[in-house]
Amino acid sequence: MPGPTSIQELEPAIVARKDGGGGGDLPPTGGNGGGGDDKNRGRRKPSPNRYYTGVAIGIVAVLMFFMALASAFLVRKGGADWVPVRIPALLWANTMVLVVSSATLEMARKRLGKSDSAGFRRFWLVTTVLGVVFLIGQVAAWRILLREGIYLASNPASSFFYIFTGAHAVHLVGGVAALLFVAKRNFSQAQVTQSVAAEVTSYYWHFMDALWLFLLALLYLGR
Amino acid sequence: MVTYDEGANIPSPRPGWLSRVFTTEHKTVGMQFLWLSLASVLVGMALSTVLRVNVSWPTATAPLLNSLGSTADRYAAVRLLHGSLMVFFVLTAAPQMGFGSFLLPLQIGAEEMAFPTFNLLSLWLMSLSLVSVTASFFLPIGLGINVWLIGSALFSIAALLSALNFCVTVIELRTIGMTLPRMPVTVWAWFVNAILSLLIFSVLLAGDTAVLSDRLLGSHFFSAATFVAAQPHNLVRDVSSPVLWQRLFWYFAQAEVYVAMLPCFGIITHLVATFSRKPVWKERLVVLAICGVGLVGFCVWGYHMFATGMNPYAPLVFSVLASSLGVPAAILLASWLATLRNGRIHLTTSLLFSVGFISLFISGGLSGIFLARHDLYRAAVSEDFVIGHFHLVMGVAATFAILAALFFWFPKLYGRRLNERLGKAHFWMTFAGVYLVFMPMHWLGLLTQSSLLSEVQRGAVASASSSIRDVVTLATICTVAAQFLFVWNFFSSLFQPRVPEADNPWQATTLEWSIASPAPRLNFGGVPPEVYRGAYEFNSNTAEGFVTQFAAPKFPVQNER
Repeated sequence: MPGPTSIQELEPAIVARKDGGGGGDLPPTGGNGGGGDDKNRGRRKPSPNRYYTGVAIGIVAVLMFFMALASAFLVRKGGADWVPVRIPALLWANTMVLVVSSATLEMARKRLGKSDSAGFRRFWLVTTVLGVVFLIGQVAAWRILLREGIYLASNPASSFFYIFTGAHAVHLVGGVAALLFVAKRNFSQAQVTQSVAAEVTSYYWHFMDALWLFLLALLYLGR
Repeated sequence: MVTYDEGANIPSPRPGWLSRVFTTEHKTVGMQFLWLSLASVLVGMALSTVLRVNVSWPTATAPLLNSLGSTADRYAAVRLLHGSLMVFFVLTAAPQMGFGSFLLPLQIGAEEMAFPTFNLLSLWLMSLSLVSVTASFFLPIGLGINVWLIGSALFSIAALLSALNFCVTVIELRTIGMTLPRMPVTVWAWFVNAILSLLIFSVLLAGDTAVLSDRLLGSHFFSAATFVAAQPHNLVRDVSSPVLWQRLFWYFAQAEVYVAMLPCFGIITHLVATFSRKPVWKERLVVLAICGVGLVGFCVWGYHMFATGMNPYAPLVFSVLASSLGVPAAILLASWLATLRNGRIHLTTSLLFSVGFISLFISGGLSGIFLARHDLYRAAVSEDFVIGHFHLVMGVAATFAILAALFFWFPKLYGRRLNERLGKAHFWMTFAGVYLVFMPMHWLGLLTQSSLLSEVQRGAVASASSSIRDVVTLATICTVAAQFLFVWNFFSSLFQPRVPEADNPWQATTLEWSIASPAPRLNFGGVPPEVYRGAYEFNSNTAEGFVTQFAAPKFPVQNER
């Protein structure tokens, strides 16, 4: 490395060290900055921050996808060909299932925090089963509508009903996959701990829950 | 903030071409993106020649041309293929995903992207998208449109994965001392652009989903006729136009212009400072301007709707927004010019292309004013004018930035240099060529539409226009021919014997020049680099006249952490 030769370098260097040290999760290190402490730094487990940030940003992108469809819904429903869809009662039951699954997910995480591995597994399994039940319930709701003769191609309102429920279900399948992944993965060799993976998954799951409440409200109030 | 993981995301090096093609290693993925762009740009250029020849000599016979004459559909299909190849796989892919994937981790001192698998996935989804978009051209028209839409949806997913990856990498993987104010402007541009991409490609994906569902499953999202008929009369001018689809599409497509341009702004700022040997003029203001372009770019989709009709008050709002883009644009321009002024200029090919970019940006920006004014659009919205405007400011300017970046970073990519003399000849021919192509297009567009001319004068212009069009066509052929100079330069430089390249051939300051050229497999050899100062310290009174970000201070301070 070429060394700078000016005494004015001194001040920025001090600032640099303060900035670097303020990073929070950096282990205390000694040495004179040149590289004496670098070996230890390399051995650390990576910071899990990227997963938190990643899921937050992913949520923004998914939200934007649904907001585009929601704005199209609001514009489109002024049309003369709009025939409101009667929402099947089953959807309210499904909604309850999804809300309860969010609660059991939190209970599972609380058990994990207390190192109660068996309790965590039990509640995590319940959450996964509730997620699958919700998906089956959504398909059942579709079948009810189909039996009533309301198809995707029937009119704009039904098109929006199917695309909202369908797109949400596709995103929720991803959530179920994440739940299964956290349950099955052996975390002893992984880059993240199980509690981090569970927390990141929980953010996505709660978001799916809230998104469903929003979509249901949109479909119900915007008939 | 400071994270580092040794070997965590880096697969151990394995031999075999399969693992080399499907590697998640960010530098290889970045180069693969660039190869994808190179292939697309060559095909896209050939198509534009075909289009121009067809305009000037409709009776000429050549492959593709014969079918053009027979139906308007084929002509539209060639235009669509040219546009999608250039906009998606060149302008969007090369500056952001190509150079970004390669350079972003190097410039912030990271060993990898945050999610290397997403990077790989993004590349292969994009390759699939390229296959679909190209295949759509050869299919019957109904099926072709469906396949094109699938291609564009795949591209959206690829862009979203890549954008997510870029955001997290910048936020989480900066090395020790790489604070936000110390990030190179290139990194800022990639970051802001990733945020913008994240928002708009979601909307495009939603639009694609809905249109595909309409076409394949018979749903009614965009069945325009009944919708338009139900709207108040003054809202919709053209009853046959699917306004809702247009809104969703332009929501994406207007911002897409900035998605192509933002990384170029970063690259040009970086190169101008490096080759003027001066700090970026008002660096923080430039970063703010880049954020401003991202923000306003996200909001201006409405101005594309002037020509299609919408709420009568909305144009005013969007017009103000569109014109307010002038503020960040002016800041960027002022910074580039002020940085160049009194600089110790190193007139490399890379700087030539950067200055060419600035010139095109000014010309294109001026003609853009005509389009942003909702009261002037009647005079300006003619096909020739719009084509001239956006090719100058978006297509050609961005291509110049890509070329400038390629000349600059080629040693880091391949450990060899592109030939400077060939590069300069290529620059001057291209520079003259693009002005000869697109300036006459502006005149054609304005003159044939101008209400200042009398009927007789307009008739005279119209009769002269065919010879103007021929000039444009000839200039196009010459400009395309000049690109073979670049292709020759590229491949001959690539296969020349490697000379031991100095690690820092341009005397640049950022982190990627702290390591060998070409960049080694493990970026920083498992030792996270440390950063001591901003990215553009070209005004120091050291013997070299510049201080790199990674040069340790002469008097190390005892570490107090």
